[in-house]
Amino acid sequence: MTTEAMAIRRGEGFRLAGAGAALLAVAATLGIAVNLVRPAATRLPWVGDWGRHVENLAFRAGVPVTFLEGARARVGAADGITFDARIPEQYAAGHLPGAFNLPLEDVERQLGAHAARLRPETPILVYCGGADCTDALELAVKLRELGFRDLTVYPGGYAEWVQYGGATRAGDAP
Amino acid sequence: MSRVRPVFIWLARLGVAAIFLGACVAKIRDPAAFALAVNRYRILPGEFVNLVAIVLPWIELVCGLAVLTAPARLRAAGAAIIAAMLAVFTIAISLNLVRGIEASCGCFSTRADAAVSDGWNLVRNGALIWLALAVYLDAVRRAFPRRAAEAP
Repeated sequence: MTTEAMAIRRGEGFRLAGAGAALLAVAATLGIAVNLVRPAATRLPWVGDWGRHVENLAFRAGVPVTFLEGARARVGAADGITFDARIPEQYAAGHLPGAFNLPLEDVERQLGAHAARLRPETPILVYCGGADCTDALELAVKLRELGFRDLTVYPGGYAEWVQYGGATRAGDAP
Repeated sequence: MSRVRPVFIWLARLGVAAIFLGACVAKIRDPAAFALAVNRYRILPGEFVNLVAIVLPWIELVCGLAVLTAPARLRAAGAAIIAAMLAVFTIAISLNLVRGIEASCGCFSTRADAAVSDGWNLVRNGALIWLALAVYLDAVRRAFPRRAAEAP
C-alpha cells in the first residue's frame, strides 16, 4: 500500500501541490485579514522589532535566560541568590521573595554587603520590571565582568511574576 | 485488517484534526504571545517572526479542517502540510533542548506558565507525524485510484 500510494505520477503530484497551495493561500488570507481587523491593542505589527528584544539581546551577549518555571525553581534556592535590578522605591513596593535589591547604578558599592554569600560560582538570578526593561541584563553583564560565572536573567521579571500569581514581599528586606 | 484500517484512518483523521484545531486557538487569540514563543526558538530572522505568528495558526486551522472534512485530494494536501509542520516543530524543539533553553514549545498554550518542553514533546510529535502520514497515504490512494485498465 505504501509504495503504491507514494508512487504519485507527475500530473497527480501537480494536482496535489495545487491543493496544498490552495490550503496555504486560504490560511494566509485568513491570517492577514484577521490581523487587519483586530483591535489595535492585539494587532501584531507585520514586522516586529525582535532584534532589540531583551531575550535576543541576552542571547547575543551570551547570558542565559530562564522563564517562569525556571524562575520559580531558582527563587529562594539555598545555593543561589536573586537580585532585583530595579530602583529601591520599586523594590520596596514589592519584590520576589528572597531577592536582594541591587540597582544597576550602585553595583560595586552594594555588592560588598553580599560578599559573605557570593562566590564566583554562586548561581545568580537577576530580574527587573518586565520584558520591556534591560536593567537585569545590564546587571548580569556587569556581574560577569566582576567575575561571577553562573548568571541567569529572568526577562519576564516582576510584572510576569505578579501576573501569574507569584508571592511577593514589600519593604527593604528580602 | 481490511475492516480495521478504515476505522484506524478515521481515528487518525479525528486525532490529528482535533490536536491541530485545539492547538491553533490560543495562538489566534494572543498572537503577540505566540510571536514571543516563535522568537524563543531563535531559528527565524526577526523580520519573519510576526508574519509566521500571524499565519501559522491559520494554517493549522485550515489543514486541521481539511484532514477532518475535505475530499481526498485536499485531505492529502492538508495531512502532508501537517506532517511537514510537525517535522519542523520537532527539529525546532530538539534545537531548544540541545541548547538548554527552558522554554515552553508554544504548541497548545502561549501562557508563561505553560509546561517547559522535554523529550515527551518529541515522542508526541513523532506519533503525530506517523498518524498524519497514514492519513496522507490513505487520502492519496483515494484521490488517485489506479484504473483497472492500467493494470498489466
